[in-house]
Amino acid sequence: MKATVGSRVFSNLVLAVWALIVLLPLYVLVMVSVKSPSELLDTSLKLPKAWMWSHFSDAWEKAHMGSAFGSSLLITATSLLGVVLASSLAAYPIARAKSKLTGFFFLYFISGIMIPFPLTMIPLYKLLKMFHLINTYPGVIFIYIAMTVPFSVFLYTGFLKGVPRELEESALIDGCGPFRSFLIIIFPLMKPVTASIIITNSLTIWNDFLVPLLFLQARERRTIPNAIFSFTGQYNSDWAMIFSAIVLGSLPLIVTFLLLQKQFIKGIVGGAVKG
Amino acid sequence: MKRPGTQLLFMLPAIVLFTLFLMIPMVGSFYFSLTNWDGLSPHVDYVGFQNYKTLLHDSEVWIALKNTFIFAALVTVLQNVLSLLLALLLDKAGWLVRFLRVVYLIPAMLSALAIGYVWTYFYNPVLGVINVMLDNIGLGAWAQDWLGDPKFSMYSVVFTNIWQWTGLSIIIYLAGLQAIPHDLYEAGDIDGARRLQRFRHITFPLIAPAFTVNILISIIGSLKVFDLIYVMTKGGPGTATESLAVLLYKKAFNFNEMGYGTAIAIVMFFVILAISVIQLRILRGREIEA
Repeated sequence: MKATVGSRVFSNLVLAVWALIVLLPLYVLVMVSVKSPSELLDTSLKLPKAWMWSHFSDAWEKAHMGSAFGSSLLITATSLLGVVLASSLAAYPIARAKSKLTGFFFLYFISGIMIPFPLTMIPLYKLLKMFHLINTYPGVIFIYIAMTVPFSVFLYTGFLKGVPRELEESALIDGCGPFRSFLIIIFPLMKPVTASIIITNSLTIWNDFLVPLLFLQARERRTIPNAIFSFTGQYNSDWAMIFSAIVLGSLPLIVTFLLLQKQFIKGIVGGAVKG
Repeated sequence: MKRPGTQLLFMLPAIVLFTLFLMIPMVGSFYFSLTNWDGLSPHVDYVGFQNYKTLLHDSEVWIALKNTFIFAALVTVLQNVLSLLLALLLDKAGWLVRFLRVVYLIPAMLSALAIGYVWTYFYNPVLGVINVMLDNIGLGAWAQDWLGDPKFSMYSVVFTNIWQWTGLSIIIYLAGLQAIPHDLYEAGDIDGARRLQRFRHITFPLIAPAFTVNILISIIGSLKVFDLIYVMTKGGPGTATESLAVLLYKKAFNFNEMGYGTAIAIVMFFVILAISVIQLRILRGREIEA
């Protein structure tokens, strides 16, 4: 079927309008963050006359972005490592050894997919207090791992079921124990799923606001969204400062995404469509 | 791997973390919803179904439930119509199309917090880009207090949410579209299928799995919406945008009504569960038919 000229114009118009709607707020975000206070009152979309790059260093210091970057990086990396290890290990016997035990635990994990975080947050508050985990890194990391294990186990199990057993069986004959064959043969095979899990969950954890808002209030441990949130409380309506902090906090993920777009898109689709 | 001991050992780390930090708190919720715990005192009193009785007559809960449904319905319908349309237009080769796919996905990389602030500025009645632009094109009379006026605040938040997640829905639809074998379209062409017929009888049935995933993601995500609303309006003006999750947060952590808050959380859980089960029934049924 050949597209008519009219339909091609319409199609390009729709695509362009949505691109504009997506980009305009991002453009304004960057412009406001580099405009001087006097120029901010000029609300047109013109480029600023003077680029106030100093806003970024100001915001970096005043919003304590340095320590926030450290916190976000530590929490995201450790949680991802935890969920990848815990769920790939758990998926191995579930996919390979059919028994009442593994069948039960598969259902047990899967049931967690349906549980929304707000349902657990109040008892979690009591639990973390009891273990003295409020305002500590391990507290939020354990929560993130527990939250992401169900779907990750599901993805790993689904993938492993489609992998032929011959490889491990020959390893077993060669005298490889189950842990070694997991480490040397199975884990490397599951790389596509691991990539998917890392990409989708790094977005969720890096950008999450609610868990640290509840359990990680101490200034020196705040994550990026929470550092920006409390900074906004202090610099109420100093838009240039607030937007500079937002630009700084959002850059790492956007740059990573632009560099690795193919892997990102594949990872996100892989994580979603299997569900 | 044959021995149950080895199997258990492999699953142990996941079992321990999952049980401690998800399952026990979930079961705990059912218990706390039957108490009047205030979050501070070590003392927890059992009050039976009192919280649930209060909840039934609490107009704020009903309003939050209604708001949550309106938010979820608008987001799900509008976002899926928009992203399916854009995905259909993007389903071809070329650098421009690849470039646009990436552009559309950028908002999904930002935190809801960042997006909330950017759009709060956009909707600002004085400085906001929307009103300024309306003014510039001579439509100044259309300018509104987009977030401050209860007539518009819900729609403004809904649009922001769609702005953030449409790119994600698009790539999921595209994955479905690209899996459709080309000869099916050619067969359709020979049969003289028109554009709309082709969509109804070939494309739409074949992207059913992508459709299911997208609808589920947007419904479940929007039923528990918190960050965006909390940052943009804190549920206001009045209760105009208060979702169940925002109400539950306020009750539990601003007013120290932890027991009552968990009761609201339980209601929210069953609402989400019921809707997802119904959804899956309908959508999966459609997939099999196709």
